[in-house]
Amino acid sequence: MRNEMKALRGQRGWSQQDLAERLAVSRQTVNAVENGRYDPSLPLAFAIARAFGLPIEAIFHDGDAAAAG
Amino acid sequence: MRYKQYLLELGAAMLLYAGTLVASLWALRGEAFGHEGVRLALSLAPMVPSLAICWAIMRQLRRLDELQVRIQMEALGLAFAATALLTFSYGFLENVGFPRLSMFAVWPLMAGCWMVGLVVASARYRSCATR
Repeated sequence: MRNEMKALRGQRGWSQQDLAERLAVSRQTVNAVENGRYDPSLPLAFAIARAFGLPIEAIFHDGDAAAAG
Repeated sequence: MRYKQYLLELGAAMLLYAGTLVASLWALRGEAFGHEGVRLALSLAPMVPSLAICWAIMRQLRRLDELQVRIQMEALGLAFAATALLTFSYGFLENVGFPRLSMFAVWPLMAGCWMVGLVVASARYRSCATR
């Protein structure tokens, strides 16, 4: 699943470690989600959306939906 | 911070284990404890601090986030399967004359497989290049 986390994090001047601390997860997890290696659970996706102050769909993009549409 | 707490808890439990092990082996070497029941209790004494090691590890597992839990599950799954394959294979080879190994060999083998599993599972979720 593609996402805008890296760009959003960059806009806010946060490091991966900063975001990890806000989300109470490891930096390894932030890195894996950011690079599309790991799709977060729904609670973590909501936490990410809250951290950026944006709706989930503004951050995560479901490639399958575009293909189906 | 949480990892430091884990290292502290695990380190304390390991020190307790090492101390109990040395004391147990020392006590069993002499003739002072001749009663069979006492000798059994002494030989199993290191397992008491081993429970503290298990407790420290379980506490750390509960502190992990969702990706770390997934990585641990994949690593432990690999260790479980590899240990089963290796120990059963060797057990069958013992039937044709291979030397009998101590039960103490099993856990270090599983721990080694677990470490390999952690490296493999962590690599799966590590980014090689940003997408």
